[in-house]
Amino acid sequence: MSKNYVRLVTIIGVVFFLLWLGGLGWAVGNYYAGKPESPPQTSPQDKAVDNKKGLTITAIGDSLTRGTGDETGKGYVGVLVDELKEKTKQTVQLTNLGINGQTSDQLRQQVQQSEVGRQIQKADIVLVTIGGNDLFRGGQGLMDFDSDNITAIEKKYLDNLNFILQQIRKNNQEATVFFVGLYNPFIEMDQGKEMSKIVRHWNYDSAEVSAGFPKVVFVPTFDLFELNVNDYLYTDKFHPNTKGYRLIAERVASLVTW
Amino acid sequence: MEKDITLAVKDLRKVIGRREIIKGLTFDLREGEVFGFLGPNGAGKTTTIRMLVGLIKPTSGSIEICGTNIEEDFQKALGCLGCIVENPELYPFLSGYNNLLHFARMLPSVGDERIKEVTKLVGLTERIHDKVKTYSLGMRQRLGIAQALLGSPKVLILDEPTNGLDPAGIREMREFIRFLAEEEGLSVLVSSHLLSEIQLLCDRVAIIAKGSIIRTDTVEKLLSNRERVAWRLSPFEKGRDLLAALTPIEDADNQIVLTEFNEQKTPEWNRMLVEAGVSVLEMNRKMPVLEDLFLELTGGETIE
Amino acid sequence: MNKLIQNEMMKLIAKKRLVVIALIIGVLVVLFTYAQYKEVQREREKLGTNDWRTILQQQIVDTTNRLSSNRLSDEWRQQLQISLQQKQYYLDHDINPAEPGAPTFMRIFLENSIDLFIPLMVMVIASDLVSSEHSMGTVKLLLTRPVKRWKVLMSKYITLCLAISLIVAIAGILSFLISGVVFGYKGWEAPILTGFNVTDTGLNTTDVKLLSLWKFLLMDFGLVWFVALVVGTLSFMLSVLINSTAAGMGVMLAALISGAILSNMVSSWESAKYFFMVNLRLTDYMQGSPPPIEGMTLSFSLLVLFIWWAAAMAVSFIVFTKKDVY
Repeated sequence: MSKNYVRLVTIIGVVFFLLWLGGLGWAVGNYYAGKPESPPQTSPQDKAVDNKKGLTITAIGDSLTRGTGDETGKGYVGVLVDELKEKTKQTVQLTNLGINGQTSDQLRQQVQQSEVGRQIQKADIVLVTIGGNDLFRGGQGLMDFDSDNITAIEKKYLDNLNFILQQIRKNNQEATVFFVGLYNPFIEMDQGKEMSKIVRHWNYDSAEVSAGFPKVVFVPTFDLFELNVNDYLYTDKFHPNTKGYRLIAERVASLVTW
Repeated sequence: MEKDITLAVKDLRKVIGRREIIKGLTFDLREGEVFGFLGPNGAGKTTTIRMLVGLIKPTSGSIEICGTNIEEDFQKALGCLGCIVENPELYPFLSGYNNLLHFARMLPSVGDERIKEVTKLVGLTERIHDKVKTYSLGMRQRLGIAQALLGSPKVLILDEPTNGLDPAGIREMREFIRFLAEEEGLSVLVSSHLLSEIQLLCDRVAIIAKGSIIRTDTVEKLLSNRERVAWRLSPFEKGRDLLAALTPIEDADNQIVLTEFNEQKTPEWNRMLVEAGVSVLEMNRKMPVLEDLFLELTGGETIE
Repeated sequence: MNKLIQNEMMKLIAKKRLVVIALIIGVLVVLFTYAQYKEVQREREKLGTNDWRTILQQQIVDTTNRLSSNRLSDEWRQQLQISLQQKQYYLDHDINPAEPGAPTFMRIFLENSIDLFIPLMVMVIASDLVSSEHSMGTVKLLLTRPVKRWKVLMSKYITLCLAISLIVAIAGILSFLISGVVFGYKGWEAPILTGFNVTDTGLNTTDVKLLSLWKFLLMDFGLVWFVALVVGTLSFMLSVLINSTAAGMGVMLAALISGAILSNMVSSWESAKYFFMVNLRLTDYMQGSPPPIEGMTLSFSLLVLFIWWAAAMAVSFIVFTKKDVY
């Protein structure tokens, strides 16, 4: 170990000492300085869709898309993807953007986000569930049967749905959109009959809106849950359970073509 | 002619808590002398030495090295002092040379030349680039001394310098210390709990017990009046009476008479005894022992 | 003084401590690189893509869903919300928060090692700088030279500072070199955002600035270095106070670990913010993560650390120059 080696290490130490001291000074200065460089407000849109192999699915919507209530955590989207993988022998790329408790208002916001738009843009299939939280208010059931009130909610919802589907079409003209309709989780309750009526009406109007767009398929689920509803519901008596999701997934799967 | 005083200690005291460990020590070291510091373990030797070299702050009293008060100008005072406190603990992971380099850098103007010089002086030139952990105890001791000599000090303080050395090592060390004092003119302060060592090595001795100096004097003076000759005579009674007429006698048990030792007179007494027809069966010069003196002075406190 | 520093550096190098530290860092970086690589692979497998936007969008949705759970503690909810807003901000501005490459790995490594790993490495050196002289007995030789005691200690302290600078450099260089094998050596110019302000109402993005990663890294290094310096100085003080290296290390280790634990649970104990150990995560301020206790800012943490540093320095020097050596 020569003296020169020690000296060299010392000098390197001094150099780094000064460098880090500078870094510290800069960090503090920068932290409290103004705004030397602001981030680009509009991003450069070189968002070329990546070279895709296989099928691309983008799912948007509420807790049904998320799969809440499914013990396996897959939801109808997960089951559907599994089935499609098996049927098509292709890789399936899934982007699940479902958010628990999302209402049509919120989804309207979400689909306007540029990245969500991009995800829709690259999809071959877009899956949508929405409206349940508008109508049932997060599982509380219908607050009242004041038809005026419900009409107002539905009007708003239909407007949102129209917008959402427009937005999807704007981003992607090719993809098939499967819009999954509502079922009535309260069908076996006291006022189940009245509620069913409202849900049927709701679904009918939703299907009408969907029909206004090319390649948008309204997928009814009302009938799936009409009999023995409690066998297919999770303990919260609102979301489907694993079996329930499987029913929905099978119905959607039967409609998918490629 | 009195030689220059190199180390002057005046009324040195150290109080730790409520206990006074060192109770007012006063002594001087002169140029070229080896001064012994003798006392049992726990007498305060090490504490005193640590105060001399600046490791412990004295509660009161003054220490002057080469005329400089240690508290007023630590750097100047320590500049003319070399020391080993207890074992020479050097850096085992460095080579002997790097150890010396390390301590040389802490001294003003000590260059490579001086490092080589002291290495040669202690006879470590061949092994100086080996790591210290490979050294024997004797070599470490020598390296310790080399380190103490680096700054060409006027005063050398060695705490238990022969501790742990084999007899050959002890002898070598003793000769080296004498050499330093006589040839190089250093003042050497040596502490020890071994009487024999001090006796062989030192010019003057301070005997310390329980934090105070009991006596300071030259070794000869401490011992001179205690040198004895033991006579075994036949017939005993006649011989004893004859000797008693010539010189004061002590003790006469076991058919042995003790008298003082005197270079001129002792042979003469012998001749007179023989002429008077007393057979001198045995004539034994009893070497003076500090041990006896020590016991006498400290009132029976044991030392090794 | 220069000569004394040379002495201390010589001893430091002869003890091979820096080599040991470099080895430890090297091994850990290999582990982390592998873990990171696995993580990236898992993500790719799960989402079937390595498009960062898709991954980030998915993370945003996942976080949003976690937020919808009503079993979250308020604190955790706030943290999630802030991280969500940040991610959304990155996505909206089309900036990848974790541009793949060695520089990004380096940044993540630094940010995660600032409060425990780097301080631990520093401790290895700092905690026996003085106490080892005691245990070897060489302190008696060191202090009987014609050199003032404060100078002896100062030379040791400066050596410590240099050693800390070297450790931080070693951590940087090794994490760059090793992770680059897997992630590539590019990405110095990648943009990164800083200047997020965490307020009561959430994330304030009005002061957000865009920086090149290399600039951001240099700042990160500065902050890591400062933290290392403060922790180093504190262990240095303990090394002066306690002659046993092991005891000093133990005290410091306990403090550091308690800091990591406290940061997670002291949000209601406000005065805990004056402990040095909850103020170690300086890089979080650059990132815009919420502080462990409300009201903590970069300047607050720097000030607290500075005061601890100054106190440690004062205690070290006063004790070392005054104390009797037995």
